[in-house]
Amino acid sequence: MNVHDRLVQLLINEYKLPAEKLVPDARLDELGIDSLGVMELVFKIEDDFAIQFPSDHVALATVGDLVHYVQSLIASPPASTLPTQTQS
Amino acid sequence: MKRVAVTGIGIVSPLGNSGDALMDSLAHARSGVRHLDHETYRRLANRIAAPAVFDPADVADAPKLRMMDRATQFALAATRQAVTQAGLSLDQVDPSRVGIFLGTGMGGAQSADDGYRTLYGEQSDRIKPFSVLLAMNNAAAAWIGLEYGLTGPNLTFTTACSSSAVAIGEAALRIKSGSTDIMIAGGTEAPLCLGPMKAWEALRTIATEDPSDPAASCKPFSKNRSGMVLGEGAAILVLEEWEAARARGASILAEVTGYGLATDVAHLTHPSVDGQARAMQLALRSAEIGAAAVDYVNAHGTGTAANDVIESAAIKQVFGSHATAIPVSSTKSMHGHLLGAAGALEFAISLLAMNASIIPPTAHLSVPDPACDLDYVPNQARAHSRIRVVMSNSFAFGGTNAVLVARRTP
Repeated sequence: MNVHDRLVQLLINEYKLPAEKLVPDARLDELGIDSLGVMELVFKIEDDFAIQFPSDHVALATVGDLVHYVQSLIASPPASTLPTQTQS
Repeated sequence: MKRVAVTGIGIVSPLGNSGDALMDSLAHARSGVRHLDHETYRRLANRIAAPAVFDPADVADAPKLRMMDRATQFALAATRQAVTQAGLSLDQVDPSRVGIFLGTGMGGAQSADDGYRTLYGEQSDRIKPFSVLLAMNNAAAAWIGLEYGLTGPNLTFTTACSSSAVAIGEAALRIKSGSTDIMIAGGTEAPLCLGPMKAWEALRTIATEDPSDPAASCKPFSKNRSGMVLGEGAAILVLEEWEAARARGASILAEVTGYGLATDVAHLTHPSVDGQARAMQLALRSAEIGAAAVDYVNAHGTGTAANDVIESAAIKQVFGSHATAIPVSSTKSMHGHLLGAAGALEFAISLLAMNASIIPPTAHLSVPDPACDLDYVPNQARAHSRIRVVMSNSFAFGGTNAVLVARRTP
């Protein structure tokens, strides 16, 4: 399964969102995932994809933003974002 | 002083998730206590509790539910019932005049337990980002405020097993003093996860499972009682200033007339006759009635050896020769001990019982205890021609004794 499909499946399974709403332009806040919710979603994605987001703020407004960002992280994980055990 | 009307009652409980379902169970002495089959509970010495059958999907959509502990979900569900019953349009009132006072003993216990499992059990540092927001004790009250846009005082009381009786009593005082017009008041508790249950077990307060009938494990005032059984749920009341409630044509379910608060300082856990009696006397005094006016007492009645004897003695001290004439029952025998939500649930039961003219029983009282010699309404509900005044007792570890008194609507 590619990144897009895995992310969409995660949103369906964990957030009970209907597949037809998960188009690239769909805004996360309109899907019920506000800025605080995005923080938790990122945590879930980190676990599921075994990646780590940078600790600085990343603007993720839409499903498309999320897909592209995760794709980019997988393609070229920045040295500072490699998974660590104790980063706080 | 202004008068306090109850215009809505919302319930999530081991005996059903509405006032009607709850009263129906109590009237038939049905117990919500059961053996816990789930593997999660295999490490408990007595795998018993009174769980609520509850579907959180009705509370909020899935993304929002991820931010709510089970205790918050209970509280929101019960609040919606209460506000609906009250017929209140909270968007039509001055939100700064509406407050929320809740009680909880353990807050988001399940979320805290989950976090500790991750940290210590799984030896992982991946604590969920929402852990603090899920577990904090004021989360339920905060979510209610957010849901209805209420900007008045928002407080969470935590005085162990009297938490929500205190919340209701203090909320009534706010209305009496005129500082708020409407209060959403009650309590919520969801402690049926392994950590809290093991902690209660370690305190040696939990009942031994009845081998022939697990549902009958909690036996308040019975000689063979062996302790309490944990339960979960929420009870929320809508309280309104009496004249305003009447003016808008609200159906008034009862009047909160008395609230007594008195603290034991003899011991952290051991109750005292004097502290409990003083709380009852203060409640009667604030209701401006004599003891003989009380038609029903919903006892704290935990089913522990210490509580039931002390509470019986305290009732005798307050009610004197009238004590044996008043029906006193412990509904914990059926819904278990909801800890921080117990006071609100049992006060709600007292109001529902008053309006239904039914005295709920103390279930599983099969062996009389000479040290407990009041009329505990054993095993069978009793029809009562007219219950006019009810008292609900809530006592707590830490010593905060809270007693609420209510009067039937004329």
